[in-house]
Amino acid sequence: MRDLSTLAKYPFLNEARQYIKDYGPSVTELLEGLLYERSRTIGIERLDNALKNGDVGNRSLASKSDRMMEIFSYPLARMVAVSVGDTYFNRRYALGEAIHAYRNLPNERPSFLIDVSEELHINAEYVESVGSVKVFFKDYLRNAPTRYKKWKMVNRDIDGGYVNISLRDLTRLILESLRRRIEEELESRKSNKAIEKAFSSDIKRFQNMVNLHKKKMEAAPVGKLSIEKLPPCMKDILAAIQAGENVPHMGRFALVSFLNSLQLSTNEILKIFSNAPDYQEDRTRYQVDHITGASSSTSYKSPGCEKMRTYGICPVDKMDELCREVYHPLTYYSSKWKKEKNK
Amino acid sequence: MTDFNPSQKSLEFLKNKFQDYYKKNKIELPDRFGRRELAFVLFGGKGMIRHSSFNKKKDLLDFLKERVPQHVYYSSAYYQTPDAPKMQDKNWMGAELIFDLDSDHLQNADKMSYDEQLEIVKNEFEKLVREFLLGDFGFNEKYLELYFSGARGYHCHVKDPAIFDLDSNERREIVDYITGRDLIDSYIFHEHITGRKHYGDHYFPSGKSLKMPTPDQTGWKGRISRGIIDIVDEIRKSDDPNKSLQEYGVKKKDAEKLVMELSDERVSRIKDGLLDQSKTIRKFFLNSALRKTAVTLSAGETDEPVTCDIKRLIRLPFSLHGKTGLKVVKIDIDKLKDFDPLRDSVVLGDDLVKIKLNQSIDMKMKNEIFNLNEGEQEIPTYLAVFLIGRKIAHIC
Repeated sequence: MRDLSTLAKYPFLNEARQYIKDYGPSVTELLEGLLYERSRTIGIERLDNALKNGDVGNRSLASKSDRMMEIFSYPLARMVAVSVGDTYFNRRYALGEAIHAYRNLPNERPSFLIDVSEELHINAEYVESVGSVKVFFKDYLRNAPTRYKKWKMVNRDIDGGYVNISLRDLTRLILESLRRRIEEELESRKSNKAIEKAFSSDIKRFQNMVNLHKKKMEAAPVGKLSIEKLPPCMKDILAAIQAGENVPHMGRFALVSFLNSLQLSTNEILKIFSNAPDYQEDRTRYQVDHITGASSSTSYKSPGCEKMRTYGICPVDKMDELCREVYHPLTYYSSKWKKEKNK
Repeated sequence: MTDFNPSQKSLEFLKNKFQDYYKKNKIELPDRFGRRELAFVLFGGKGMIRHSSFNKKKDLLDFLKERVPQHVYYSSAYYQTPDAPKMQDKNWMGAELIFDLDSDHLQNADKMSYDEQLEIVKNEFEKLVREFLLGDFGFNEKYLELYFSGARGYHCHVKDPAIFDLDSNERREIVDYITGRDLIDSYIFHEHITGRKHYGDHYFPSGKSLKMPTPDQTGWKGRISRGIIDIVDEIRKSDDPNKSLQEYGVKKKDAEKLVMELSDERVSRIKDGLLDQSKTIRKFFLNSALRKTAVTLSAGETDEPVTCDIKRLIRLPFSLHGKTGLKVVKIDIDKLKDFDPLRDSVVLGDDLVKIKLNQSIDMKMKNEIFNLNEGEQEIPTYLAVFLIGRKIAHIC
């Protein structure tokens, strides 16, 4: 068995689950026992940290008891998240757990990384002689951020169905796969009455935070923007962002540059993005300012239809008549205005 | 080509011949066929009959014999409820990976004859299958099914269960890979420091050379390297290297310089992976090698690659193409090179039929050469169907 400090750092591992089953307390003990007070505190801390900092956070793992409490806190945090019952909250928390693992993984041995990959259904093999990893191309595709050019398969060494990547890159694939797994697990579990009772005040607090966030969103009507006149692509991206889904970089870029062309201010654009699961105001402001040219020398143009298609953000199945007549989302929007005027 | 609708008589004729085919031949149906959506276009019918599915093979075969559709399609996807009228109610379960190479996608297609177009598409297709699908992606040969489309192209169906659940974006990545889209210059070429000078304790690079990959490397690196070497050899072998370079789009001045520099020694250095050339020349090499070795899938603009579409309808193997009467035949990978569509996919009979041609025709079909003048002619059924389908003849 792996040592406790490893399980404490990676509590999502099957082995950690097994450890709790074999040596851990029952759910009732965990929820009520005085001994586990600290686990409960850490469990809530995980959620708070994930929400605020995007990482569930580091705590001392010096003593055996530290490690045990850390391990037990993980299922608690998950159960509470399920009880909060909100997709945005779950996404945010799943990302926080995954980022935490991602930050620790570079210190681990290759064999450990391979084991973790296997548990996350990433078919990977370490080639010791060259110090790199061979990953089945499908698992690479599923988990690599291919919206960045250097991650595109075309810029990677592939042979016989396997992509050659570095150990560091493997941790990035693990991050994505883990995030997705936790998210799916949280979405599929049902809330537990005992948890709701034991953590009622924290659950309420989290629900309030989420609601406040959503209210802020709703209370922000986008001034000059006419939603019905948006082309299908922008409607899709906007809907995904408002639903709290994680929209790929190119999608965000397309929307920001589009809105900027419609003369929306940075603040108005930020309001739209504040619902994204990994929203950080300062960061997003920086990126928006960069695209709009407020903090850079160029104001980026909104991508045309062809480019949108290349990046796979043109929803081809939702294209309408007008789409076929125009080559740019902005033309779509302005011709909708013109058509209304002529009526 | 004048465009006119084949008369009722011509349609009847085509339909009769198709019916003969569907009655006399056993059609092999796709695997998990009960989970597929089927779609048809009937002779003289308007639009497509969609959202059909058949539980029993016999039902579909009977349908083909009785209704005799002009075109038959099936979904590359399989669904829980393939006959649900709304796409979202079908419940997608997975889809084959499809590659559709058509001569429509070629540049200057309209300037080439039918044979020439088919030949070029076949070469592209072979490159796709051998280099990319079997090579880089390592698919097992048993999962690849190759078909002639019945008209101007080829289809490859990848039936590896491991990739059935790939989503549209993941499929697009595969397309970007085989078309070489977004290949980064610095992934291929590296600056390599050849010497160092030192002043006191400090070292400075004193020489740089540009490294390029060697032909035996995997993936795009080796492919670009092989492409560059081919181009270099081609230029050196040509009678007028300057001119052939200019045909590649190199400016006259650059071309002259490059030709002067392509000594035997330099060429052998290139083969060893050292490309000491200026930026423009390097760009030229990269772009030309890319064009040479990538697969041309689409002409860009409006043509969304079939491969990314996970709910696509595609022509049913072993059916007849309604505009040519040619069969969508399966092709053995090893026989692809010798495959001749106008010989190997001709399945209709050779009874003579009287037709009226509205242009003269020179072509080879089923190993026979036809030089036909405009006007009334007696020709074999298979050719008649082909010409009527392409709207250059009609039954008189």
